[in-house]
Amino acid sequence: MIDVGLGHYLGLGAVIFTIGVVGIFLNRKNVIVLLMSIELILIAVNINLVSFSVYQQDIVGQVFTMFVLTVAAAEAAIGLAILVVFFRNKGSIHVDDINNLKG
Amino acid sequence: MNNIEFIYPELFLIISLLILLILGVYKSNSYNFIKKITTICFLLCIPIVYLNNIGDFNIFNNSYSVDSLSNYLKILILLSTVFSLMFTNDYIKIQKLDKFEYPILILSAVIGMFLMVSSNDLIGLYLGIELQSLSLYVLASIDRGSEKSTEAGVKYFVLGALSSGLFLYGCSLLYGFSGSTNYYEISEVFKQDTSIPILFGIIFIIIGLAFKISAVPFHMWSPDVYQGSPTSVTSFFALAPKIAGLGAIIRILYICFGEIYEEWKSIIIFISVASMLLGAFAAIGQTNLKRLMAYSSISHIGYVLAALTVGNRDGVISAISYLNIYIIMMISSFACILFFKRKNVYFENIYDLSGLSKNHPLISFCFATTLFSLAGIPPLAGFFAKFYVFKSVVEANMIYLAIIGLIASVISAFYYLRIVKIMYFDPENEKFDEGSNIGIRFSILFSSIIIIFYFLNPSSILYYVEMATKFLN
Amino acid sequence: MLYDFLKDYATILIFLFISIGIGVGFIFLNLLFSPNNPDSEKLSAYECGFEAFGDARMKFDVRFYLVAILFIIFDLEVAFLFPWAVSLGNIGLLGFWSMMFFLLILTVGFVYEWKKGALDWE
Repeated sequence: MIDVGLGHYLGLGAVIFTIGVVGIFLNRKNVIVLLMSIELILIAVNINLVSFSVYQQDIVGQVFTMFVLTVAAAEAAIGLAILVVFFRNKGSIHVDDINNLKG
Repeated sequence: MNNIEFIYPELFLIISLLILLILGVYKSNSYNFIKKITTICFLLCIPIVYLNNIGDFNIFNNSYSVDSLSNYLKILILLSTVFSLMFTNDYIKIQKLDKFEYPILILSAVIGMFLMVSSNDLIGLYLGIELQSLSLYVLASIDRGSEKSTEAGVKYFVLGALSSGLFLYGCSLLYGFSGSTNYYEISEVFKQDTSIPILFGIIFIIIGLAFKISAVPFHMWSPDVYQGSPTSVTSFFALAPKIAGLGAIIRILYICFGEIYEEWKSIIIFISVASMLLGAFAAIGQTNLKRLMAYSSISHIGYVLAALTVGNRDGVISAISYLNIYIIMMISSFACILFFKRKNVYFENIYDLSGLSKNHPLISFCFATTLFSLAGIPPLAGFFAKFYVFKSVVEANMIYLAIIGLIASVISAFYYLRIVKIMYFDPENEKFDEGSNIGIRFSILFSSIIIIFYFLNPSSILYYVEMATKFLN
Repeated sequence: MLYDFLKDYATILIFLFISIGIGVGFIFLNLLFSPNNPDSEKLSAYECGFEAFGDARMKFDVRFYLVAILFIIFDLEVAFLFPWAVSLGNIGLLGFWSMMFFLLILTVGFVYEWKKGALDWE
């Protein structure tokens, strides 16, 4: 009988985190996918924090999670708003179209 | 201790933000009004911070410190913000960015920076970083009709959010393996042992913070964002967020990770060397002034980090002195960049400056002085800044770092001097508009005078910084 | 050991297989037994009374996003209100007034977006 312990949760967190980071760097299609990858990273952080918090019987981790959740919502809201403005100017949210500035 | 009276500056700014937001939305065409009141609020906040500086306190269960270092950095942030509001007035009106949200966003970013430099807890630091960056994302894309500005906003947002994610992941690991988010408690844990997972946490946290101050190899957003955002916003980016980011880095490295100096030393050395060299090499091919300033600020951040690798109070003193002089030079250079307009069109290419000295001798003299100072040529202020850094690095037996720094500054002198050559020896262009506002002229003169006459009393800044860092031992 | 571990999850696996089986099974049964004589009217998307203009994957009005964004922000304040309400007895006056200040900030934001017209549909 194997107990699902801290290591499993951390593993899950690490896998989701990696998916998020790889999603940002490999994604060549849509900026919305980038936003989703960022959310994935934050979810991984939350999993980590909550499992550490339970494991250590310490409430601070869950408080941190609350803050991360709310800030993530604000971040997503601002990101979508910026994206809408960008779409109005450019007519596309393709990642390859974000190419005006380089040098 | 739950002492509200120690956070009067923050409360003052927050309450004025709320009042200004309501005032601005009920009053039509309120940009001028709100901007003036915001500037007054910043100016009023300086004496409040100063009067608050009566000792070193840790409040709210040690999660927030109000000490001489944070107060010093807060005053620096306020002053640089006031300058950047002052000399961007014309630009904002001509580019039709005069929405009342502009000063309010700057105000909220400043509140976030206050949190960053004072916070003694990972949660507080995270909230400060986010409050600052969320405001900056919006500021970068404030020119809603411009493709460049919104693209800068998208880039800044995506990479900034990624860096906050990395930072948070580091925080979660650090919390998990040390059992606390408080700097003091974490450093207590470090006294006992340093295990591998904690090192991972440290690396992620340093990556996240290096992103915010655009240190190599996490700098790739900064040239694009500097170029794409409106110049008024760029000038703000080059000033206050660097102070706040470095304040946060100093606090976390010296208080939280103070016990494990040997572990983070090599990481910071790598980041610093890479920043100095890349900032010097990549700027050579740039013709856009804003992009060039971005690379220049990357390389200056490298010097500041080089001073931090020393790991004692001397390093902090020379880092903050460097930062101080960097801020003055940036105020001068961006005020000059905002001067280059002809019939309400702004120029940001270096070839547009050709022959500037014939039409505007005073401005081109000031700009040339600033560029010489950025290159670190004696006897200007920039030389002394680099001198402090190299001195403390050499005293810590890291001569190779000083040599790399010298090489980088010699290389970067090339592109600064190229601009001077274009201004003084190339055929002259049409005149730029003379009727630029008093704010630009005042900023240029003020900062140039400091840059030129700094050598008269080169220990003055050192003295104040030494006072400010007394509690670090 | 691993075997025991997996045995605990066997019910979930069986459940998964059965549900997939039922789902796929119904589709196949449909293919086998349903009468199938398509014409162009039947294949077009349903639109009451007039020709369909565009497919189901058309773009949403951006105003939906706006409302959703505004909703998220106010939705999440509850994440702070609940813990605050539960622990109100222990955190004293400072805790009470901190939350009041937070709600004041939210209200100011709300007044701002109302006055700006973010809540108007037209």
